[in-house]
Amino acid sequence: MTPPTPAIEAYGVSRVFDSRKGFLFREVTHTEALRGVDLVVERGAIFGLLGPNGAGKTTLTKIFSTLLLPTAGTARVLGHDVSTETAWLRPRIGLVLGGERGLYNRISGRENLRYFADLYGVPLGDRERRIDEVLERVDLVWAADRRVEEYSRGMKQKLHLARGILHRPEVLFLDEPTIGLDPKSARETRKLVRSLVGDGVTIFLTTHYMFEAEELCPEIAILSKGRIVARDSIDGLQRLVGGDRTLEAEAYGFDDREIETLRRLPGVSKVLSEEFGPSLRLTMRVRTAETTPADVAQALAGHPELSVRERRTSLEDVYLDLVEEEAR
Amino acid sequence: MAFADAEVSRRRTVLASLRLSVLQFMADPQWLIPSMIAPVVFGLVSFEMFRNAAGQDYLIYAILGAGMMSMWGQTLYGSGWATGQDRVFGTLEPTIQAPTPYLYVILGRVLWNVVSGLVGGLIVYVVVVVAAGTFPSVPNPLGFAVLFVFVMLTLAAVGVVFAAFYVYTRYAGFIQNVGEFAFYVGTGCMFPVVILPFFAWPASLFFPPTWALDALRYLAIPGYQGFGWGFGWDLVGAIGTTAVYLAIAGSVFHRVERHVLEEGNLSDY
Repeated sequence: MTPPTPAIEAYGVSRVFDSRKGFLFREVTHTEALRGVDLVVERGAIFGLLGPNGAGKTTLTKIFSTLLLPTAGTARVLGHDVSTETAWLRPRIGLVLGGERGLYNRISGRENLRYFADLYGVPLGDRERRIDEVLERVDLVWAADRRVEEYSRGMKQKLHLARGILHRPEVLFLDEPTIGLDPKSARETRKLVRSLVGDGVTIFLTTHYMFEAEELCPEIAILSKGRIVARDSIDGLQRLVGGDRTLEAEAYGFDDREIETLRRLPGVSKVLSEEFGPSLRLTMRVRTAETTPADVAQALAGHPELSVRERRTSLEDVYLDLVEEEAR
Repeated sequence: MAFADAEVSRRRTVLASLRLSVLQFMADPQWLIPSMIAPVVFGLVSFEMFRNAAGQDYLIYAILGAGMMSMWGQTLYGSGWATGQDRVFGTLEPTIQAPTPYLYVILGRVLWNVVSGLVGGLIVYVVVVVAAGTFPSVPNPLGFAVLFVFVMLTLAAVGVVFAAFYVYTRYAGFIQNVGEFAFYVGTGCMFPVVILPFFAWPASLFFPPTWALDALRYLAIPGYQGFGWGFGWDLVGAIGTTAVYLAIAGSVFHRVERHVLEEGNLSDY
C-alpha cells in the first residue's frame, strides 16, 4: 500500500516582493521574504512554525493557503499544487489570519459566518446547525447576533477561528491564533486546536508564544530571514543547541579566563553572556549530568555575589540561540 | 469528522453576495444619502433646469437626466467601491480564498446596485411628476420601462469591469475619481452625446450605456434624432457592447485574480 501523501510540502520555495515608489521615476525595491524553504508536514499533526517578526511565517502560510504564489519552487497541500490546483484545494483548506480586520463589522457574527458558509459551500441544509456548532466551539454563542463592531479583539479572533473551521477543512492554517486573547480564551483556543487534531485535521500553526508551541506542537520548525534554520521535536531542538540542561551564573562581571574555564567543563556545549541589569549572566547549555551547579560555582569562586541555578532548556532558549546564530 | 463536503455553487455565491449587500445597506445609514436623498435633490434640480425649455417633452428630459444621474454612479461604481471596501476591511483575502471565483461575488453586488439604482430612478420620477403636477407623455411606456432596466444592465456591465480594477490595485479609487466626470458626460447621462463635439463620439461609443441611453431617448422623445442611425442600430450597439464588456469581465477577473496572487497585494489598502 502506498503511504498517504504528506499534508503539506514545500520544495525550494522562495518569494520575492517588489515594492515600488515614485511616479515618473519608479524605484523598485526587492525584498526576499522566503529563501528556498523545504518542508514536509505529515497528515493529522500539529506543526509549529516559529520565527521573529518579518521572518516570512505569514508569507509561507499564505502560499500554502493559495493566497500568494511562490516566486520559485513548488508548494503542495494534500498532494496538490497550490499554484495550479486552487479550485480543488480551496474547499479543503482553512485559513485563520486573525487580527482586527477580515470581518464585516456592521453585521453580526452569525451573518458573517452565514455569508462565508455560502461562499465555502457548506451544505445548505446543514448550514445553520454548523454555524451553531462552531460558535459553541469558540464560545461565542452569546454574542452571535451582535454586530462585529461591538466585539473585542479577542471575540473577533474567535470569530476568525469559527470561520476557519466552518467548512470542515482537512488542513487548517493558523497564523498566530491566540494573539490578543486573554489567558482563559487563549487556553480554550489551544484546547480547540487539540480537539481539531483529534478530528483528524492537520494544523499548521505559526506563533510567537513559545509555551504555546511547546504545549501544542510535537514538531517545530524555526524560520529566520526566510530560511528554515531548524526543524525537529522539542527534544531534538534542545539537542541541536547543545543540551536539555541550562546552567545560569550571575555576578558583577566575569573575565575571559573564567568563561574559558566554563567552556572546558564536561558536557558544556555553549556559553553565552548577556548583561542583566548591573550584573552579567552566563548561560551554559549542558549535554550531560556531569557538570553540576556546584562545579560552576567552584569554577567561578571569588565572586561574593555569585548565584548559580539550573533549569531545563526551554524552547525559548532554543529559539533565541538559533535565531541569534542565524543573525550572526 | 467528515471533511470537505462542500457544495460550492456559483448561484449560491451570487445570492449570498446580494444578501450581504442588502444587510450592509440596512446597517449603514449613510446609504440613505445616495439612494434616497440624492434622487430627490437631483429630481428637483433637473426639473428646475428643464422647466423653461421649449417643447412638451421637457419632463422626459428632466426625468432621464436626473434619473440617470442618481442611478449611474450607484450602479456603475457601487460594485467597484464595495470591492475597495473589501480591501479596507481586510475581507478581500478570505473572499478570494473561498472556492467560488470572485466574479460571482461581484455579480451579487451588481444585482443589488441595479435594484437600488432603479429605486433611485423611481424616486426621481415621482419627484418630477409631483413638482410638475402632471405626468410626462411617453409614447411607449412598456418599452420605456424595459429599456430603462436595460440601461441599468449596461451600466452594470461596465461596473463589473471597473470592479476588476479594485481587485487589481488599491489605487483604483483614484483612477475612478479621475475618469468619473468624463465618463458621465461622455456616455450622455444628463444630455445626449450628439451635442458634444464630434471628436468625442468615438470614445463614447466604446461604452454600452451611450448606445442604450440614445435608444431610450429615441423611445421616449418624439422626433429625437440622436446619432442619426435610428433606434434599431442603437439597440444592436448596446447589446453588442454589453456582451463584449461581459466577456471582458469573465476573462479579466480570472487574470486579475492570478495577478494579485503574484503581486501579493490583496491586503494592501
